[in-house]
Amino acid sequence: MKLYQMVIKDVLRRKRRVAYAALGVVVSVMTVVGILTVAHAAQARIYNQLEKYGPNLIVMPAISNLDLRLGDLMLATLTIGENYIPVEKLRHIRQITDDEIRRGLGINNEGNIATIAPKLYTNTKVNGMPVMVVGIEPQEESKIKPWWRVRDGDYLNAPDQALVGAMAAELLKLEVGDMIMLTDGNDVAVTGILEETGSNDDYLIFIPIQRAQQAFGKQGMVSSVDIRALCNACPVETITDRINQNIPGVRAVAVKQVAEGEMGMMEKLSKFMLALAGITLVVGLFGVLNTMISSVHERVKDIGIMRAVGASHGQIIKIFIYEAIIIGILGGIVGYIAGTLLAYIIGPLIFEGIAIAYVPQYLLISLMVAVLVAVVAAVYPAFRATQVKVADSFRAL
Amino acid sequence: MLEVKNVSKVYGQETTKVVALDNVSLKVNSGDFIAVMGPSGSGKSTLLNIIGGLDRVSAGEVILGGKRIDNLDENALVEVRRGKIAYVFQQYHLLPSLTALENVLLPLTFCGISNRTEKAMDILKRVGLDKRARHKPNQLSGGEQQRVAIARALVNDPELILADEPTGNMDRRTGREILSLFDHLNEEGHTIVMVTHDPEIAKHAKEIVVLQDGKIIEKAKQEPARPRQRTGAR
Repeated sequence: MKLYQMVIKDVLRRKRRVAYAALGVVVSVMTVVGILTVAHAAQARIYNQLEKYGPNLIVMPAISNLDLRLGDLMLATLTIGENYIPVEKLRHIRQITDDEIRRGLGINNEGNIATIAPKLYTNTKVNGMPVMVVGIEPQEESKIKPWWRVRDGDYLNAPDQALVGAMAAELLKLEVGDMIMLTDGNDVAVTGILEETGSNDDYLIFIPIQRAQQAFGKQGMVSSVDIRALCNACPVETITDRINQNIPGVRAVAVKQVAEGEMGMMEKLSKFMLALAGITLVVGLFGVLNTMISSVHERVKDIGIMRAVGASHGQIIKIFIYEAIIIGILGGIVGYIAGTLLAYIIGPLIFEGIAIAYVPQYLLISLMVAVLVAVVAAVYPAFRATQVKVADSFRAL
Repeated sequence: MLEVKNVSKVYGQETTKVVALDNVSLKVNSGDFIAVMGPSGSGKSTLLNIIGGLDRVSAGEVILGGKRIDNLDENALVEVRRGKIAYVFQQYHLLPSLTALENVLLPLTFCGISNRTEKAMDILKRVGLDKRARHKPNQLSGGEQQRVAIARALVNDPELILADEPTGNMDRRTGREILSLFDHLNEEGHTIVMVTHDPEIAKHAKEIVVLQDGKIIEKAKQEPARPRQRTGAR
């Protein structure tokens, strides 16, 4: 008979007590795994939520219009040449951006990942008043500006439609159904009016980009590109640098305020989660410590017997550590299962419509954390056990 | 082989001082069977604990095989317990989660020795319990549990067996069986020091030491009165 075999037999006899000690570990591991699993599944959703910040990367022609602004008030536009980005470069930009994200997240899926919204700005006159018409990709633009709300009418869904900013509609006296004549002589119908956004968008008229290119003779050209690319492993700066190095004639700029804000938010979120997990672990640790100490008290006589028949201090400590390892393994497995179930239950309550998936790798983390907690919690009780005086242990009973 | 020299043991502090042993000296020779007698509180169990290194002396020396053991540290005492001295207690003190056989193997486990099941079974056979080897202590009678405890004491081939009221929890008949087992062990050459308050039991010993209020008041050698029939090895 080996020492560990003796411990296993002892644990089997004291099932209830051991289960009770394991409970502390289970609760801690459950919380940690629950948080991690929900966070894992929620990552994509959290990024979506962050999109309210708008684009975090803007690509412009290397030489461009120079807007003289005072806050949101445009004072003048200093045009330095008439430079545009050819549409062909969009493909290249997308390739680089998606590439970086794939690498950062370690994923392989085909198809588009980043949201890329090209724009074509043109000055024109409507009802005799100067106004800026912006050609957009309706789908991409709505993704990048999730705060847009259509006040009257509908969002753009056909080529001959226009979406009008709140102030523009007021100033130009436009209503849903009105026709706007573009420079090529063809009309577009006002299909919707946006709610006020408090940004420049309020003063603009949006039409599908192909229509704008056609109407203003700018086929195959865009003025600038708004990009929304985010993953925690691929900083926007990396993407910016790669675009600037690889695509001539364009200048990519990271919207630092946005990018840093987003990263900071992710960081805060994970720090908060870690702190929560840490506290739970400490609480669990004290739970185990408590049960272990009462286990020492309960077994003072057994410890005395073992000492009397030749157990050394080291062996008494080993006995308790072995027991802790068993408690840790048990607690780790049960805690992983319970934590995953917990994630399935509370995940949808926190993030609506979230798809929780269990993460097998967390089982390993659970086991490591659980064994560590149990062993750390066992150190002091084990030391106490070595302080048991053989003669006293028998007298006391 | 063992000598207790002027040993005193005092419990508690100044005002609550209790003198359990007062300047006790005792010599145990190889092959001896000594019965330590005395009323409750006379210090006989304390003397046994001190001999076995389970308790510390307040003054005096304990010498085992020519070496002082009263001043050894815990680790060195562990070595003494692992080979030279074994205990048999009134309460048997078996581990409840282990079978009879595993309890016998326990001292070997702590010595880091495994795979001695055969030896343990042999010893269980000697105490007449080989058929109960797979039983847990709570499935055994008091007499049977004490036989397991004796087998456990023997597994390390100790020089000295210390027994504290080994028949104290038994009816007369079972007690007699256990005693004849001790008689038999002594005849085989084991040295035994046994604490008892029962004069009938003390008659089995070769020497009687009587303690009172922590002092030895009588020491006498005697011819052991041992029954002819041997109920020990059934």
